Amino acid sequence: MRAGTDLDAELVEKAVNGDRQAFGQLVERHYDFVHAVAWRWSGDVSDADDIAQEVCLRLGSAIRGFRGTSRFRTWLYTLTLNAARDHKRRQARDDRRLQAYASEQVTIAQPQDPDEEQREALWAAVRELPEKQCDAVLLVYAEGLSHAAAADVLGCSEATISWHVHEARKRLKTVLGKEAV
Amino acid sequence: MSDDFEKLGGLNPPKASRQARARALAAAMQAFDEQQENATSTQGSARPVRQSSIFNRIWSPIMNRKLLAGSALATLLVVPAAAFLTLELTRNGAPFGESAQEIALKDQPRQEAEPQAAAKKAAAELARQREARTVEAPAAVQAESEAAVSAEADALANRMASDSAAPLSAVGAVQPQMTFLPAPVARHELLAAPEENRERFGKAESNPVKSVATDPVSTFSIDVDTASYAFVRRSLMEGQMPEPDAVRVEEMVNYFPYDWPRPVTAAEPFKATVTVTPTPWNGGTRLMHVAIKGYDVVPAEAPKTNLVFLIDVSGSMDEPDKLQLLKSAFRLLVEKLKPEDTVSIVTYAGNAGTVLEPTTVKDKAKILAAIDTLQPGGSTAGAEGIDAAYALAEKAFVKGGVNRVMLATDGDFNVGPSSDEDLKRLIEEKRRSGIFLSVLGFGRGNYNDALMQTIAQNGNGTAAYIDTLAEAQKTLVEEAGSSLFAIAKDVKLQVEFNPTAIAEYRLIGYETRALKREDFNNDKVDAGDIGSGHSVTAIYEVTPKGSPAVLNDDLRYATAEKPGAEASPNSGELAFLKIRYKKPDGDRSELITTPVTEANAVPSLAEAPTDVRFSVAVAAFGQKLSGVTALADYSYDSIIDLAAASKGADPFGYRGEFVNVVRLAKGLGSSKN
Repeated sequence: MRAGTDLDAELVEKAVNGDRQAFGQLVERHYDFVHAVAWRWSGDVSDADDIAQEVCLRLGSAIRGFRGTSRFRTWLYTLTLNAARDHKRRQARDDRRLQAYASEQVTIAQPQDPDEEQREALWAAVRELPEKQCDAVLLVYAEGLSHAAAADVLGCSEATISWHVHEARKRLKTVLGKEAV
Repeated sequence: MSDDFEKLGGLNPPKASRQARARALAAAMQAFDEQQENATSTQGSARPVRQSSIFNRIWSPIMNRKLLAGSALATLLVVPAAAFLTLELTRNGAPFGESAQEIALKDQPRQEAEPQAAAKKAAAELARQREARTVEAPAAVQAESEAAVSAEADALANRMASDSAAPLSAVGAVQPQMTFLPAPVARHELLAAPEENRERFGKAESNPVKSVATDPVSTFSIDVDTASYAFVRRSLMEGQMPEPDAVRVEEMVNYFPYDWPRPVTAAEPFKATVTVTPTPWNGGTRLMHVAIKGYDVVPAEAPKTNLVFLIDVSGSMDEPDKLQLLKSAFRLLVEKLKPEDTVSIVTYAGNAGTVLEPTTVKDKAKILAAIDTLQPGGSTAGAEGIDAAYALAEKAFVKGGVNRVMLATDGDFNVGPSSDEDLKRLIEEKRRSGIFLSVLGFGRGNYNDALMQTIAQNGNGTAAYIDTLAEAQKTLVEEAGSSLFAIAKDVKLQVEFNPTAIAEYRLIGYETRALKREDFNNDKVDAGDIGSGHSVTAIYEVTPKGSPAVLNDDLRYATAEKPGAEASPNSGELAFLKIRYKKPDGDRSELITTPVTEANAVPSLAEAPTDVRFSVAVAAFGQKLSGVTALADYSYDSIIDLAAASKGADPFGYRGEFVNVVRLAKGLGSSKN
């Protein structure tokens, strides 16, 4: 991605100034990234599709206001996180209605591999964390960002990120019992 | 300990499908293009809402920094700052330490040509304005904030990102209600508002069981509204149990047409029929079923009508089950009117506007065309709208005829002096001048039921809730007579129970309609109306003396007081029913009385008339939904059986539908437990 950064900066600048083609190229280049982040946040492909589309939409209408050329990636994270959060809220609302209809809950097929299974459980537990903690953990561990970079995305200080991660750890310990964490 | 978290990185995200990708890219391009159109169209005051909210958000932190304390001070600061900045930049492009610029140009000032240009422009603009000495505060603020914003944009890129994303979701089509401000409301209504759902219902506890020894008299105003049933039905159809507060048992019972015995002439505006039956849900009590039927005005004698449609066209009405449905509904109603009747239309949203001056129905095409032109948009200024509507109603006032404002809305009155009390007062005042008001509720999610109830009650009108065209047909066409032509007003009911026969009683429903005992004879106290052909049903659950179901112990000292009670001539009576009403144009009330004796009783519910059995089933269902404990053990199945067996002719299928609604509730109710 290193070599691409300069190209990105150029594309962003052009897109900000209303260059349609540059914008198209930019979205094309970053779609997979957005989709992957959305998938990690939601854990579901079709949700990720929806979230990624929402992010694209927001990008289209907000790009002209963007002024942080070098920090396009960070901005994408923020947009995606916000979209994922909105999506989750909307879904929670719909779920409650659906649950009222269906008297039986569909059981989701579990992966067979025990290692995979444990990882799934961990992911599920992380997604249940309070929003801020979940965001911090996912940015740091799943996305591999430094605490400083994560702080940039979430718009808080580095120490706050460290604290969220710490809290998340404490919480997961009680949630998952001793076998995990 | 941290090992497990490391695993989070291990999952490989699946590839997005090609279609999803293509869809997303197309959406992005479209959004981009739409924004392009905005950018090229007029700037300045005609900015899209979303952007102004960004400015506000960025503006407030600037204010917080105490750099610019007020608009006047701000002007003083920004003008020299911008001028200085321009000078510095044209000279060597390296501005430096002064407080304003420190913040304005924290990051990479050289890369940004735009802020300089904007600042220059703003400075010039401001200077020009000052010269002309017509500096208007808001304009100045707007200009400064633009200058400051563009200069600060880089430093704030981060914030911009989250800001521009957040308001988008707020104005997006997904949550149109977000832009809809709630009206100021009384505190108890705020408390009653459910969290996610912003519908508001007046809170009323179910009527308690009362002891005849201490409270022999029950007084209430009749209620012919039907909104609650349609609302309950809709909620259940959508798979949610209705809020217990949304359930008003009497409205559910009165929703259904019943064929109670009718009065013969208009001189006797209505007839009351009382039936006493055993209670299906409690072996130890009986139901005293009071059915009132209003005289049916034959269409030929229907008085001339002057209708004003007051239509909410706020942005939130832009849904197929709101404005579109409303248009169809009003078309139905117009078809029903006579050629010499008049119709006017007022809309309200942001500011109220008259769409159609009073027009006779002869000119039907003009009216229908006006209905067609209605477009959603803006916020709601209900109070102003009501003023305009009343003005039109007065303009076309028909003496001795029907003068009525029909208010159609999905929610609130949120602009203008719209405390519930003020509105109430206005509507009451107009009612006295002969203009009544009815409410038609539409849509879900924002419906302010409590306010609508208040308005309709004070306007001598009905509140109906319309969720389907079939419902519109029922309310506006089949029952047009009853909602338009009142045959009696301020109808109050008072029942006095005979303590020698009845130990306890409980009025089912009518919680919001309770009156004080002394109000019954007070003609100044407003009460409900009965329209042409209306039927009203009230049911008491009564516990006979000596029944094992009596809840209250006998009073130790009460019996000693009247040893000779048995000898009174009225000893055979169970209760005494009194109805007070006024003729539509009268101010003095008249009284109808009926004693209730064992002659009114039937030995088992199965022998009661079909309509009585069906209304009892509806009452049972309503009580169960509102959580009345007396019915906790009475199953939905029993209600279904009772209702299914008493459907009767059911020409419009309302009763069949009711059975289905109960089935839905059964499914939802049991999955909840």
